[in-house]
Amino acid sequence: MNLLNDRKYTQSHEWLLDLGNGTYRIGLSDFAQHSLGDIVFIDLPKAGDAVTAESSLGDVESVKAVSEVLSPVSGKVSAVNEALASAPESINADPYGAWLIEVTGVFATAELMDADAYKAFCEHA
Amino acid sequence: MSELKRTLFYERHVAAGATMVDFGGWEMPIQYPGGIVEEHLATRSGCGLFDVSHMGRFRITGKGAKAFLQHVLTSNVSALEVDQAQYAIIPNENGGAIDDAYLYRFVEDAYILVVNAANAEKDWAHLTREIKAFDAQMENKSEAVALLSVQGPKSKEILSDMANGAFLTEPVKNALGTVKLCGKSAHIAKTGYTGEPVGYEIFALREDGLFLWDELVKRGAKPIGLGARDTLRMEAALPLYGHELGQDKDGNEIPVFAISLARFAVSFAEEKKGMIGRAPLEAQFAASSRILNRDFSDLGVLPRRIRPIALTGRGVLRAGFPVFKDGKEIGYVTSGTMIPRYVVERQGSLLETFTDQRAMRSIGLALLDSDVLTDDAVEVDIRGSRISAVVPAWHLRSDAPPYARPIVVDAPEEPEQAPSGNLPLSALNLLNKAAENHIWRQEQCVNLIPSEMTASRAVRLLSGSDPSFRYAEHKKTASFYDNEVFYYQGTKFIDEVERALVAELRRYFGCTEVEARVISGQMSNTTVFSALMDYKNRLNRKQTPQRLGYILNNHIIKGGHLSAQPMGALHDYVAVDPATERPAVVNFPVLRENLFKIDVEETKKVIERYRPEFIIFGKSMVLHKEPVCEIRAFVDEQKIPTTIMYDMAHVLGLVGPHFQQPFAEGAEIVTGSTHKTFFGPQRGVIAVNYQEDELKYDLWKTIQTRAFPGAVSNHHLGTLLGLLMAAYEMNEFGDVYQKNVVANAKSFARSLKAAGLDVAGDPAIGYTETHQVIVKTGYGTGPEIAERLEENNVVVNYQATPEEEGFTASGALRLGVSEMTRFGFGPKEFETLANLMADCILRGKPIAQEVCKLRAGYTKLLYCFDDAETNAALETLAAKSGI
Repeated sequence: MNLLNDRKYTQSHEWLLDLGNGTYRIGLSDFAQHSLGDIVFIDLPKAGDAVTAESSLGDVESVKAVSEVLSPVSGKVSAVNEALASAPESINADPYGAWLIEVTGVFATAELMDADAYKAFCEHA
Repeated sequence: MSELKRTLFYERHVAAGATMVDFGGWEMPIQYPGGIVEEHLATRSGCGLFDVSHMGRFRITGKGAKAFLQHVLTSNVSALEVDQAQYAIIPNENGGAIDDAYLYRFVEDAYILVVNAANAEKDWAHLTREIKAFDAQMENKSEAVALLSVQGPKSKEILSDMANGAFLTEPVKNALGTVKLCGKSAHIAKTGYTGEPVGYEIFALREDGLFLWDELVKRGAKPIGLGARDTLRMEAALPLYGHELGQDKDGNEIPVFAISLARFAVSFAEEKKGMIGRAPLEAQFAASSRILNRDFSDLGVLPRRIRPIALTGRGVLRAGFPVFKDGKEIGYVTSGTMIPRYVVERQGSLLETFTDQRAMRSIGLALLDSDVLTDDAVEVDIRGSRISAVVPAWHLRSDAPPYARPIVVDAPEEPEQAPSGNLPLSALNLLNKAAENHIWRQEQCVNLIPSEMTASRAVRLLSGSDPSFRYAEHKKTASFYDNEVFYYQGTKFIDEVERALVAELRRYFGCTEVEARVISGQMSNTTVFSALMDYKNRLNRKQTPQRLGYILNNHIIKGGHLSAQPMGALHDYVAVDPATERPAVVNFPVLRENLFKIDVEETKKVIERYRPEFIIFGKSMVLHKEPVCEIRAFVDEQKIPTTIMYDMAHVLGLVGPHFQQPFAEGAEIVTGSTHKTFFGPQRGVIAVNYQEDELKYDLWKTIQTRAFPGAVSNHHLGTLLGLLMAAYEMNEFGDVYQKNVVANAKSFARSLKAAGLDVAGDPAIGYTETHQVIVKTGYGTGPEIAERLEENNVVVNYQATPEEEGFTASGALRLGVSEMTRFGFGPKEFETLANLMADCILRGKPIAQEVCKLRAGYTKLLYCFDDAETNAALETLAAKSGI
């Protein structure tokens, strides 16, 4: 399982990367993409939508099943990775590059772990 | 939870890194590291390997085995011959399904029933209860027998390699065979659960299972998990118990006829009187027939049916999603997901090929109100949003092997060409293009289509001369001592021509009577079939006429002529055998070591068993003489009343000592087309050899009335003149022509072989005894190579061999030497041509220029009258007729 130290992780296997200008990037962890299998469809909010920590921000679907993506933060969607709509499989290929959305105006967060804690969490999962 | 069961292949799955899951109590691979999408595509484009050893395998034997199976299965077990398999449902008393299953008959006296893993215990208990009333035994062989499945276009190649090239099975769905795979005995079945037109299930001894798995993997078979097994079967719209069969989401029983396969898998034959659930199944069948007839007045017993569904909006179909039409809920999705496919090039053509590019589509199956029509627009409720979808006829087609071909709902349609509106210009174009085509065909390219022939100038001129605009209907009239009475005036010349033609053809065939008014070989056959049926019913006209059956013919895969198949000219004349519920046709068995040749000894057994009332010799892929003599002697000796016909369509021009003399050998009727090896324009002919004092002379009379007014009124009088000239040419020059054709064919075959091509047939007899040569180019490559040759001025047709599934999977070319022989080609020219063709076929070398050069020296047609007087008369006719 591949992990990056530059970001935080949730118990529901999303990652959160602070871009440093009040903007946060959200994606799915390597563990998540691996357990989902071939990702074939993704449904994301639009720019301007509000997201709420620990609530669904959208769905990601593999051949096998559909899963909700829970937002690690509360805030407003400032950008959406539009490329994913036609190439959702890029999440399997590059989970830390293929981000889902960017959020600004963050005012609340879910419980977050650093890479080590998340690694331990996954091993016990 | 009880401990999960593992198949023999468990260690292989784990070693390959598979994700293992609980499936019906079995620990099975859901996917391997490549993932479901990879596995799905690997099967469709190559070969998928499936561990299906979790499925239940029951062996049923005993005197009452068939009766027991007729009772507990929906299928007609009487229709199951040795080396065949059939799909069946295990019905319950209510007309619902306990399970669906496949029944295999590898040997005469034992049946193997394969059932779903998750239902195996339930099925076993049910069947054990039911078998008590029968003199039959059932054994659970699930442990002792390893069951594997290989599916996909490359599966045949892989198995053939393991079998050392031995014959696997007949190239049709549900055929079985017993072979040695890498030295291990195995039963194989041309069956599967993927929609692949080429795929096999392998039944082997448990101790050989792992060895075979490894050998398959070594040859490129890719292990496939249950995930892709599900997407593959969904794309093929095959039902899965628990989704499309069994209970619906509200716990109500799904009627068996909700799945469209039921119409094939449920039989109400006489022998199935005691079938479990017969009465409700009959009610469902009636309901299903009404629905297919778009009578939706009573949907009571079959309110909903399983239909394919394809999402056209964004999203993914999942089982359970409700489906709406015009705002009303009409059912729900029973299976659904996102399924990959390779994008194809040249979509919709025979030369369609996969690209590397992938596409995804969300498709599935749905249980929908029975009044939903194909192509209806519907909506699917996906987590609160209504997403548009459609109910297509299918998601995938398997009728163009070796590939299963995805059918997408938004495929672009080819725009129809609108007429230009400028008619003088269109007319001019047509003339110019026809001239171009004529030059290409007659001067620049080599034609090796065995069913074509260029006619002489005399034949062509006569065919276009005045009678081609006229009518000349005539009928024998008893009041006038059976003289022909014509209905129109101006017909004296054509009367003379027809009489002369009949006399000339009688001489050619060496027979008593000829009917020359039929205008094609196909019409010759339908006329004879219709006459035979009429003759059969002549003694009782007060009942609906009975059709013909049994009929013995050559199977189309073994080269049988389309015009003598139930799907062709026999269609309206052949009975359905009530015991098997199939057309009452059996086929000539062929020799295992030479699939192009009828096996006479086995044929005798078939004749004894079926006592066919009609025997049709003749083929369109023909390398050998037909054993007319032997079969005539046998039926006479056995006193089997029958009629022997030889459909000589392809070899009509070879009648004589260099090939066959059908009437001398014992045929009663010969049919054929006059433009293949014969010299004529495009017509047909029927010849019989009945004597006037024979009972069967009445059949001849019937043939005449079925020709006119049965089949023709006007019968293209111009070509009747042409045919008379062709008959003169044939009777004058035929002996040398026929000798040269057969010699050239043998010589061409040897040259092709020497040039490195794989020539089919028996080298001992020079590969062929006819005008045809068959060259094998490799499975499925025929269409592409035939196209390549056409681009290089060599016109041939691609041909499926007796081992191949059909024309799209053709791995051979059918070559005929007759036309080029008529243009003067001899062994030397055919050798040059063979070398050029080898360059083009084996090395992709362009040969168009050389072919053109070769052809240029041979544009004068031989074996026709060419004296000064004839030529002067031709000029006069041309000038006077303005042609």
